[in-house]
Amino acid sequence: MRHEGRGFHPDVKRLLDGELRGGLDALAPALREDAQEALRLLAEVDRTAPVVSDALEARVMAAVRAKRGRRREMVVRLRPWMLVPALAAAAMLVLLVGRVLQAPTAQAPAVASLTVRFVLVAPDAQRVSVAGTFNQWDPSATPLVRTAEAGVWAATLTLPAGEHQYAFVVDGDQWVADPAAPAVPDGFGGGRRNSVLTL
Amino acid sequence: MNHRLALLALAALIPASLAGQSIDERLGARVPQGTAALVRELAASAAARGLPADPIVQKAIEGSVKAVPADRVAGALREVLAQLALSAAALRGAGMDPPDTIVVAAGAFAINAGLDASQVTELAGAGPETGAAVTLRVAGTLAALGVPAADVVRLVATALAAGQAPADLLALPAQVQAAVARGETPAQAAVGLARAAAASGRRGPPPTRPTPPPRPQRP
Repeated sequence: MRHEGRGFHPDVKRLLDGELRGGLDALAPALREDAQEALRLLAEVDRTAPVVSDALEARVMAAVRAKRGRRREMVVRLRPWMLVPALAAAAMLVLLVGRVLQAPTAQAPAVASLTVRFVLVAPDAQRVSVAGTFNQWDPSATPLVRTAEAGVWAATLTLPAGEHQYAFVVDGDQWVADPAAPAVPDGFGGGRRNSVLTL
Repeated sequence: MNHRLALLALAALIPASLAGQSIDERLGARVPQGTAALVRELAASAAARGLPADPIVQKAIEGSVKAVPADRVAGALREVLAQLALSAAALRGAGMDPPDTIVVAAGAFAINAGLDASQVTELAGAGPETGAAVTLRVAGTLAALGVPAADVVRLVATALAAGQAPADLLALPAQVQAAVARGETPAQAAVGLARAAAASGRRGPPPTRPTPPPRPQRP
């Protein structure tokens, strides 16, 4: 049930955003075909390396060089509390620039990093975070925030290509595997598992 | 000096500086002394055998953060080292000698997910050596989804034989998940995808995705 000229049905968009509890099965039957097509397209886009034409790259680099030639006064007062968000923003910029300018080759993976959205349905939780190999298993490093939908927590991260293991941490001490992701034993016994994300 | 450029340069250095941290710096105060000593011992053993130490350090941090008892953390660390060694031996069997540490880690992940050493050898030799890490990560992820190891090997090997690049394999786990959402078992999904890959290999590459022209090399 595609909305002509306006994209997909709002419920399909919620599914794509990971905000539809129950996944495909939760959709009205008439929407499922569209949803599967949307998922297929999304997977295709995710796997398609951004290609920058030589002409576009030349124009961008010329603009950068022109900018660099201009002198502009700017006063920056750095305070300690400013440094962390500034570095984070700068690091994000570096990642984005790196992704756009990287030329795909036949040998190397074309995409250096991808944006990933972590979603957990935990209606009774007071706080939720995600910890894994990408943040040194630090439960305080990556908190999820409540979304508009009741009980749904989410966070968006940019992660390097590769294999990552993670788990959600609910209320500081409950380690919960992602029910929507593949999982492997965490190796400590007790049947606990780590979720797996392969980019 | 342009402050923005300085910040960018500083930010660009962060990953490199993290990568260059010593094991003690990475463990910090998060890991008990006894576990830290074992990590140093196992990491030295790994390095001496050309194996990556990072998975051992990561597992120690994970165990401590999860408040796992020290004896179980120690067992997990030894298991990680054993899987790395098994992976390296399997990769040598595929002609990689010495194997790249990234590929060794990917093989160990696949082994932890349920593949055995002979299957790692088979998959590592099924595609281009430069794509072995991706191939093994995908294989491990498929096993982690519940696809039986033999079906994992059949699917991945068939896809590679049909001309798919290792990076194309990254779509397979999502395709299995989609099929499972439609009611198939992971094994059925893998068999269906292997059949489709074999058929596409017989047909040749789809005409709608022409090979892009090679990019000119820049000095």
